[in-house]
Amino acid sequence: MTKGVVLWTIVGANLILLAAPTVIVLAASFTSGNIIQFPPDGFSLRWYARLLELTDFRDAFWRSLQVALICTALSLPVGTLAAIGLARYRVRFATAIQVYLLLPFTVPLVVSGLGLMFLFGAWGILDQLWPVGIATCIINLPFMIWAVAASVNALDPDLEHAAANCGAAPLPAFLTVTLPAVMPGIITGGLIMFVLAFNEFIVSLILTDARTVTLPVLVYNSIRSVVTPDLAAVSVVYIVVATTAILLLDRLVGLDTFLKSR
Amino acid sequence: MASRLVDGLEVVRAALWPKPLAWATGYALLLPALLVVGLLALGLVYIVDASFRELDTRTFLLAETYSLGNFQEIWERTVFWRITGRTLLAAVIVTAITLALAFPYAYLMVRTRSSLLRKLLLISLFLPFFIGQVVRAYGWLIILGQQGIANTLLQQIGLGPFRLIFTYETVIFGLVQYMLPFAVLMLAPALAAISEEVELAAESLGARWWEAMLNVVVPMAKPGFVAAGVVVFTISLTDFAMPAVLGGGTNDFLANSIYHAFFRISDPGLASALAVILVAIGSTIVAILFAWLGTGTLGFRKSSGASA
Amino acid sequence: MRSRSTPPLWRRRQLLQTAGATALGAATLGLPRLGFANEPAKPAELIVRAWGGVWVDALNEGVSAPFSEMTGIRIRHDLTEDNEIQPRIWAAVAQGRKPPIHINWDTSTNATKSAMRGVTVDLSDLPNLEGLLPAATPVGLDGFPIVNVYSYVYVLAYREAVFPDGPPDSWNILLDPRFRSRVAVYNDGIGFHPAAQIAGGGTFEDIPDNMEPAWEFIRQLKAQNPLLGEDPDFTNWFQQGEIDVACTIISNAREARANGIDVAWTIPKEGAKIDTDALWIPQGLDDNETYWAKQYINYALTLEAQQPWLDRLGLPGVRPGVVPPADLVGDPAYPTTDEDFARLISVPTPILAEYERDWFIKFTEIMQS
Repeated sequence: MTKGVVLWTIVGANLILLAAPTVIVLAASFTSGNIIQFPPDGFSLRWYARLLELTDFRDAFWRSLQVALICTALSLPVGTLAAIGLARYRVRFATAIQVYLLLPFTVPLVVSGLGLMFLFGAWGILDQLWPVGIATCIINLPFMIWAVAASVNALDPDLEHAAANCGAAPLPAFLTVTLPAVMPGIITGGLIMFVLAFNEFIVSLILTDARTVTLPVLVYNSIRSVVTPDLAAVSVVYIVVATTAILLLDRLVGLDTFLKSR
Repeated sequence: MASRLVDGLEVVRAALWPKPLAWATGYALLLPALLVVGLLALGLVYIVDASFRELDTRTFLLAETYSLGNFQEIWERTVFWRITGRTLLAAVIVTAITLALAFPYAYLMVRTRSSLLRKLLLISLFLPFFIGQVVRAYGWLIILGQQGIANTLLQQIGLGPFRLIFTYETVIFGLVQYMLPFAVLMLAPALAAISEEVELAAESLGARWWEAMLNVVVPMAKPGFVAAGVVVFTISLTDFAMPAVLGGGTNDFLANSIYHAFFRISDPGLASALAVILVAIGSTIVAILFAWLGTGTLGFRKSSGASA
Repeated sequence: MRSRSTPPLWRRRQLLQTAGATALGAATLGLPRLGFANEPAKPAELIVRAWGGVWVDALNEGVSAPFSEMTGIRIRHDLTEDNEIQPRIWAAVAQGRKPPIHINWDTSTNATKSAMRGVTVDLSDLPNLEGLLPAATPVGLDGFPIVNVYSYVYVLAYREAVFPDGPPDSWNILLDPRFRSRVAVYNDGIGFHPAAQIAGGGTFEDIPDNMEPAWEFIRQLKAQNPLLGEDPDFTNWFQQGEIDVACTIISNAREARANGIDVAWTIPKEGAKIDTDALWIPQGLDDNETYWAKQYINYALTLEAQQPWLDRLGLPGVRPGVVPPADLVGDPAYPTTDEDFARLISVPTPILAEYERDWFIKFTEIMQS
């Protein structure tokens, strides 16, 4: 067998695997029947019309949006500064600090959720929405640091030195040279943080109650009830948000950045 | 105008952060992140504390005194061994399959000369990654159900219907699909760093294409494989949603056991002890892998093990 | 047991018309004042924990929607599983936070545990407790920290097409190799442990001290590769052709039947477990919220609420005068006579409150092995 045939067979299988759930959910949302079946009963937008009536889902959507915004607003400065601090400054115990900052990835999400539930409960803030935003920032922070660190590492240090040699003071040099140069990393990280917080499930499942429930938790709960097409229509909200984020990412920094060697 | 604003800010900065403090700048930049992650560390303290307290089933409160009772209970109950074994086995299988599937994908994406194809492959990757696990699990429920599209198609060629959901295999299948984008995105930069000429050189020396791939490309991409492998392994090892949605109730992973101990039988002590064990298993394995293979591309710093 | 899920959106035909609802007070409604000189302010909404599928639909049709219409208070149903809401409520009360729900629709067993822990609000001043059947009175508790609202039976539900010779007469049918991978029980075995005890050759008297026959039966069931689920799962699985036999509450099987699936149910010769569900209010709410939550429960005890609510669920209520739906008249799974009750297995709630958790653990241990 030739290389091309083998590669394409595997990649083709991958593509089907990756696309199948999305395509099926999308297709199911346009059915005119009451249950999801194949082939579908016919085409209709009735489940989308139904979406507008579902106040619980609408409220949960807005809450997820708030969570994602809080998460992004917190991650942008925190992650950017940390990435620059790690990549550009000599700090002692750098390895230990790196391992510590990778903690959100080495601690299982369900454990992070329980730990934060204990903590927020003891602080009496468990029944509010903003701690969920902070939690989503914590558990995904390494993504933000990675994204910015990749940009910082790609940045030529001579550029900053040159700015300094030209008499630029530290802050102007940072604002006019370093920051613009790492902007692609900041944008990438910010978008990833936003989308991941918007999707976040298990930690939110543990931290939210009926007053603060977010969209993924509500969708999960619905799956455990009776599977019907309106849920597919709700899921399409995710497809729309994901598509928008990808277009933004491509337009602002180019998807190709993910292929650059670090 | 803008430059005057910047100059003004610089004056403020110089006043607040004078030169003698320059040595501390790096730490100051890291401080917010250290504090944010510190919340998680604090949460872990609560968990470790609870893990050493047994539940009093008369009051359903945790004991005031410390003991090893929860760990002893876990040690003695074979079911936890079974669940741990099931979780570890799944994580290994998922990692192996995912890396095997991700490598050709990443390779083609990096090597193709068509920017359109590259973009298409990237979008196919990001779309599921950004859609989230719950919606994808829902999609599989629709596809693989007794009356789903897969069984419908199978019946048209005279087979089935088969039980395609609520099995261990389905959970593994769902996890592979969930992990693929992570794996490809961690592998791609490592592959991009390998010059195509190296491969061509190997092939010109008589190696077949797959020999060049296995003996040249794969070893050179090792840091990427390590990073991808570690990420896929740890996330699979600790997953909750796939066993919960696709497992049919009899294929729990450790994460589900922790959740159930806490929320179904109201035993925060046992749940915390299980959590401590899961963290211990995960970090031990990751530490061994790092010691053996290096940190791959997982580090934040160019200098510390980041490859290429 | 039972479901954590969201309100079945597609079925909410009548969106609660809170905007247009007249802001009638309790007095004009004929609702009693419950000891307040002036009626306390109405909260914008009350959150009622409920089970998914047919359960939340029935509660909405029979109780929540009419209550909203009368009072203008929006009712939101939180479908967090009953076991899962429990630690959340307990933690909230212990930490002095507001509990996540206003009214808990709960198994009497779990409700009793919460009452023993002291997190429930006393309901003994509800005027509609007057004249209820004895089943409404909580067992092993003083007064009314909770109130039972109906009884139900964990029946053997089956697909009629696979039993052309009539209904199966024993729980042993669950072990028939024909139904490998096509049987289902609750995910913690709730409702099934006592039946398994008898079917496994044990005696009722040995509950809870010697349950080995039950565990042996459940071990054999494990070999059948059963599906484990929550209330709406049974309805779904019958409708989607995933299962042929199950131990579930009659309401879930009856819902599948109402949707055109040939599901029927029976009480096997070994008997079937009968139990009750309860309503209760957690402590730590604002006074006006507690007041209106009490009004909600008080309304749920009226004949006009019980009849439509329990018609949909197919369950016998606690208000005398609730009549069985036509399809359940004379059905032993809707027990009305002494003869009916004699065929059922009733484990006292205090025993369940003390031991059921251990049974869940044991069941899970067998099933996850």
